[in-house]
Amino acid sequence: MEAGFLIQLLVNGLVIGVIYALIAMGLSLIFGVLEIVNFAHGEFYMLAAMAAYFLTTNLGLGYWPTVAVVSVAGLAVGYVLYEALLASLRGESFERSILLTLGLSMVLQNGAIFLFTTTPKMIVSPYTYANFIFGQVRVPVLRVFALGLGVAAFALLYLVLYRTQVGKAMRGVAQNRDAALMVGIDPRAISRLAVAIGIGLSGLAGAALAPIYAVHPLMGFSFVFKAFAIIIIGGLGNVSGAAIAAIALGVLENLMGGFLPQVTVDGLAFVAMIAILLIRPEGLFGRGVRV
Amino acid sequence: MNRGAAPLAFLVALAALFAVPRLTGNEYVLAFGVSFATFSVLASGLNLVYGYTGLLSFAQVAFFGVGGYTCALLVTEWHWSLWTSAAAGGVLAALIGLLIGYSSLRLSRHAFAIVTISFALLCMIVSRDWVSLTRGSMGIPGLPVPSLALPGGLSWRLNRPSDFFSLMLGFSLASHVLIYLLVTSRIGRAMQAVKLNEPLAQSQGLNPLGYKLLTITLSAFLSGVIGSLFVFYLTIVDPSIFDFYYTETMLIMVILGGPGSFWGVLFSTAVLTGLPDLLRFSTDLRMVLYGLILIGAMLLFPGGIGGWFKQRRLAHWRKQPYGDKP
Repeated sequence: MEAGFLIQLLVNGLVIGVIYALIAMGLSLIFGVLEIVNFAHGEFYMLAAMAAYFLTTNLGLGYWPTVAVVSVAGLAVGYVLYEALLASLRGESFERSILLTLGLSMVLQNGAIFLFTTTPKMIVSPYTYANFIFGQVRVPVLRVFALGLGVAAFALLYLVLYRTQVGKAMRGVAQNRDAALMVGIDPRAISRLAVAIGIGLSGLAGAALAPIYAVHPLMGFSFVFKAFAIIIIGGLGNVSGAAIAAIALGVLENLMGGFLPQVTVDGLAFVAMIAILLIRPEGLFGRGVRV
Repeated sequence: MNRGAAPLAFLVALAALFAVPRLTGNEYVLAFGVSFATFSVLASGLNLVYGYTGLLSFAQVAFFGVGGYTCALLVTEWHWSLWTSAAAGGVLAALIGLLIGYSSLRLSRHAFAIVTISFALLCMIVSRDWVSLTRGSMGIPGLPVPSLALPGGLSWRLNRPSDFFSLMLGFSLASHVLIYLLVTSRIGRAMQAVKLNEPLAQSQGLNPLGYKLLTITLSAFLSGVIGSLFVFYLTIVDPSIFDFYYTETMLIMVILGGPGSFWGVLFSTAVLTGLPDLLRFSTDLRMVLYGLILIGAMLLFPGGIGGWFKQRRLAHWRKQPYGDKP
């Protein structure tokens, strides 16, 4: 077995794991603060990738401006999403929140299919075929950028949650919404911010992945199913648990993909989720309130 | 409807069903019947789980497809008869439902919803990638014309659309009678109690997990069997049987009909089965429309048609004077 091959698989796994993490962290954050499972989360990732495609291909925007624009747009969309749809829901109407976001997902996904068709689109940029070369290992530049962006986003989210007043408020609402209200935290403002951050993270993921994989309307759908498994494995509502589980899953999937049939790789996330539910239902890193 | 009259109504309706193909050879009517039979079993199964017990399941389509694949493989590879294969498809679906329900309900309703949707998507991917078993995205085409052994040495070759019309509507009728008897029984009331207030139901000595697992297993079994019959009607099974389209359609049927309303869901199923032919534009736009309906229903009338009638009935009762009628 060649060491270079293993390292290649490892690096690819890390990149995809970081992207899983960006999506799963947003999902977990939204669940932790609002007790809502956002079924449309993958569609925002898809829309972000679509937006990145049009910004680079039609408007000729560079890689970094595209990432910035799409992430900021994601934040804004999150604000609007909360105010327009999610604000009317309460924690106890969990099934309603799922059906509502599912409806949104259907509209976005099928609308995208109608407008853009399911033909995959590739972004061609000066970075597309560029590689960093370390000895025998060649790592595409874009994957390194995606990795860096993911790590930076994770660090930033950690700083916001643990080093700022608003992050403390967010953890407070996640722990106990009523108690947070009583000490003067506005749950609505905090929830809005959580949704904005969550959608912003999937916007970032979409923009970072768009130049690496093909862009098409069904891309979010297959991704979000793994994100669901990840947030259960990491513990529902536990953001760092989701990040760790996501990276572990990405690496394991790629290592397995190098040697085993595709079907075992597909099943890994699901089997791991069921195993965790049977052995340790609160998730690997504890459930619920820890954001 | 009186519970005692249910078996009689069942027999009358069954006779009427077998009479329809004699009266009309219209293929549109027959196709509508098969479609209605399929969706009504799927939607009522979902209604049983979501409407009556309060668990949102996305795995109904997975049970449907697992049943279809199991049945098709048993018939083509092991040459089992359609009866036993369809039953085996239903039983396998039920076992999977039991496993999913038991593992996820230990955590929460939230986990149940997430696990079921993951399972549905997993099935789609596995049916596409496990080529040695499922033959990948080509599916298993050309399923043979099944022949059902009937009591008395007779056999029924299902080689015309009208045969499937009778068989599938017959099965769907039997399922609905079973579901109706279940939801109007003590068990059905216990299920609704669990949905409305689980701790209260528990304090009355009910075991919520048992009732939840019962409904999940039963609806998985029914979905599995109707899936088995459906693929033989289509004569092909391929990964598109796990398409999210089925989930979305049956959800809309349950939501519009009113979760927890037996007749409401049947009514909306009949309307929505006929509707796609009226809304004869692109499938993508139809799904966009369904999505908008879902959002609108969730924001404006979460009770659906059945919920509206229920509210009217309650309002009517409130106007009644107290005490016995003179």
